[in-house]
Amino acid sequence: MQRYWFGDFDGAGCQKAPTDVKKLAERLSILHPDLETFVPLQWEQAIQCGFVTTRSEYIEKIRSLCFFIAQSTISSFLQRKDEELVRMVRVLDEMDEVINHLLEPLIDWYNIYNPSFSRKMSRQSDRDCITKMRKTDNTSLYSCLDGVENIISLRSVLASDVNRQATVVLPNCCALVGGIVAARLLARAGGLERLAKMPSARIQVLGAENALFSHLQVGSPSPKHGIIFQHQRIHNAPRKVRGKVARVLAGRLSIAAKFDYQRGTLVADFVEDSQNRINRIGGFT
Amino acid sequence: MIWIDSTLVSPGRNSIYGERIVAGHRVWDPYRSKFAALLMKERNIDLLPEMRVLYLGAAHGTTVSHVADYVDTVYAVEIAPRPMQALLRICQKKKNVVPIYADALLPASYAPLIETVDLLYQDVASPLQVRIALNNRCFLNRRGELILMLKTPCVDSKQLPRIVLDESLHDLERLYTIHKTCWLDPYHQGHAAIIGEPK
Repeated sequence: MQRYWFGDFDGAGCQKAPTDVKKLAERLSILHPDLETFVPLQWEQAIQCGFVTTRSEYIEKIRSLCFFIAQSTISSFLQRKDEELVRMVRVLDEMDEVINHLLEPLIDWYNIYNPSFSRKMSRQSDRDCITKMRKTDNTSLYSCLDGVENIISLRSVLASDVNRQATVVLPNCCALVGGIVAARLLARAGGLERLAKMPSARIQVLGAENALFSHLQVGSPSPKHGIIFQHQRIHNAPRKVRGKVARVLAGRLSIAAKFDYQRGTLVADFVEDSQNRINRIGGFT
Repeated sequence: MIWIDSTLVSPGRNSIYGERIVAGHRVWDPYRSKFAALLMKERNIDLLPEMRVLYLGAAHGTTVSHVADYVDTVYAVEIAPRPMQALLRICQKKKNVVPIYADALLPASYAPLIETVDLLYQDVASPLQVRIALNNRCFLNRRGELILMLKTPCVDSKQLPRIVLDESLHDLERLYTIHKTCWLDPYHQGHAAIIGEPK
């Protein structure tokens, strides 16, 4: 017997499928024919079946079925919590870019009024920097700085939202590296399922793709860490053991991601054991 | 194919994704579309009004919309949700495109939807591009044609593109007779078009 979206064919004839799109979609999802014995359909069979009478009607019906399937799968995909977190992280990263892009030329502008001002020497935060520059008399510079300051406060609100959401979606990863880093890993991987299926070596260099490909292609030194470098136990570790910590941490993260994907709850024993191990290797006590 | 002053176009009065319109035709940019690049380099390929096409890796549907201008029906398969949203918007304008949300690697999931086609066009970013072409052969007519846009860096970024192409051809020859291959330089780097027919 050959089963098509509009009906089943066997030696005797054709059995028409229900015409309702929802039922057609359900039926289609369970058909899964064996391709060894499958004979592709001829659209005229749909006429024989009494499903349609013309080619244009055939196309119209198959399109409405396919639109229905695509739209319902997309909306269930978009409503997933990890998908929302990915979007939030992308906005957060973009905000960082914008703040940097705006602040640099604004400092140059402010330098005209106060040539001795320099940000590099004093290593101050963005916000302190703006507070100082706001003493200017130039009203248009003042309002520009005001705008950037607004983005900075928006950014910190968003960052704490990301953090909160990440502890819901990735409880185990968050326990190991904190919400922001865990969320960034998730965003780079493109979703929880993908992160959970990644080998630890890939997690280790996630975010260092340029270095990785240049290593593979021209043999430059391999990257030791990507996004996970942002985690304090890696960037605070002595240079000598940094790669080692990164490897162990990535290994633990790949397990944590699998817990997050499969269970979605914090696994306390695992986290504690992992923390001890990472601390021991990095020489943290 | 239709050319206006050596610019490739497809019949359609209205711009669908923001492309230019020249004398009532939609401009088909070879730097944007790999199919257009192939048509620029190989002038003897033609899309005929009675053709039915299975298009794997439809993405945002820009190339799909041009192919649909020429042929009877396009079955456009795409797996990624966001490009699929864009594809659906284009399908609302092009009534002869059937958008299929499925994984091209697993044709069993969409086999009951698809009739036999005259052209199997594949442009997917997957290390298993050759396997996808082999798996989908069953939909191709006996006199049908395969056009596979091989993205060599996706198969192996360490290997030279030429070697990746040779290996892929070797695997494809199990089920296809290859007539021609063509690099898409200068329009697209590292991409080779493979043209063949089922054995």
